[in-house]
Formats: sequence, C-alpha cells, structure tokens
Amino acid sequence: MFDTVLDKILEISRDAWVFLTGLLVVVAILGGLWYALQGAAGAAFGGGKMTAMAIMGAIGIVIMVMVAFLVIPEMSTMLQGMQPTPPF
Amino acid sequence: MTAIGQMLLEILRNGWIVLVSAVAAVAALALMSQILKTVSSGIMGANLYVYEAIAAFFGVLLLALFGLLGVPALVQAAQASLPPSAGCGPITELGQLAIMLIGGLAAVRMMLAVFSGVAMTTLGGSGGLSEAMLEAGEAIFGMVIASAALPIATHLLGVC
Repeated sequence: MFDTVLDKILEISRDAWVFLTGLLVVVAILGGLWYALQGAAGAAFGGGKMTAMAIMGAIGIVIMVMVAFLVIPEMSTMLQGMQPTPPF
Repeated sequence: MTAIGQMLLEILRNGWIVLVSAVAAVAALALMSQILKTVSSGIMGANLYVYEAIAAFFGVLLLALFGLLGVPALVQAAQASLPPSAGCGPITELGQLAIMLIGGLAAVRMMLAVFSGVAMTTLGGSGGLSEAMLEAGEAIFGMVIASAALPIATHLLGVC
C-alpha cells in the first residue's frame, strides 16, 4: 500500500547520500590543501608546532574520511539487517 | 468485525515496514552528515561543533538502535500484558480487535517518533531522542490505561 512512498523516500535518500559523499570528498580535499599550506608555512618560518598541528589535522581528515567510507556503509548494512517484522 | 480488524492491521503493518526502512535510510544519512560536520568544523577550528557532531553521531546511532530493537520488544511486552476480554459474544471479538489495534497503533506511533527524532537530528535539531522516549512512554501508558479500561467496560456493559 505504501510502496510508492517507500520508493520515493529511498530514491531521495540515495540522491542525498551521493550528494553527501561528494561534498565530503570536496571538503576533505580542501582541508588537505589547507593543512598542506599550513604545514609548509610552518616549516618555512620555523614554526614546529604549526607544522605538527597541520600534520595531525591532515591525519585526522584521512581517518574521518575512512570512517565515512568504510564504517558507515557497514553500519547502514547492519541497521538494514536489523529491520524488525511488525510485532503485532 | 474480524475482517475489518485484519484490514486495519494490514494497513498498520505496511506503515510499520515503510517507517522501519525509512528509519534505517535516514539514520545512515544522519551518520554521514555528522561526519561531514565533524570534518568541516575541524578544518575551521570550531571545536564546539566537532563535539556536537560527535555527540549527535552517537545519539543517532542510539536512537536507531532503540527504534529497531527496543520498540518491537516494548510493543510485544505491552501487548502481552493486555488482558483477554472477559465478556462473551460480540464483546469478546471487540476486545480482541481492540487489543490488536491498540498494539498496532502504539507500535506505529513509537516508530514514527523514532523516525522524526532521527530526521530532526539529521537536520541539526536537538531533543530528538528525548521526544522519541516521551512518545514511547505515552504510547505504553495508553496501552496500560486500555488494559485497565477493557475489563471495566465489559463489567459496566453488563454482558454475560
């Protein structure tokens, strides 16, 4: 009865998922460039702490992107596998 | 009477399946959006937003797990606590129909609350988890009231 509604919701969700992943890639690339610039500037001016912060930030971005692309799909699959049948 | 009840229950079951699928889909989107918020806030140095995003990430996960695991268990437990109708004839049928419909309506209402909570968290709103818990509590309280009302109504109607 509500199949049309479910199809529409899933279609919108798929579009939103593609948009979010694309946006995440763009933001991660920009962030990586920013940290590269920060690290290079810190190294050029002798700012060791600045360079260290930039390296840590870049590593943080890589970790977050890996979480987004590897862990969240697995979590989503897990949630879909847990869908209960109607308890009534 | 039973045919009408089965038809209504079938509609509620279809609604339940749609809501459960929507909760799983929206929860995945919410998790991804919180990761995006974490990354973008971290780049800009907005630590408070990072903390908020991490908290919302686990909040969404908790809410989805509550909806997919907790709500069916709650409904089954509450439905089992409803007493069978003490009357006879049409009153018995009416009581059974009421028990089935009360359980179905409470389950769909709780799942709808979970869905709105997850969607609200995705959009950056707060209080989704607490509102879902409140809705669940209200639904269970309604079932308890109904379980007390059924025998009283049977007694007052004076049937059998």
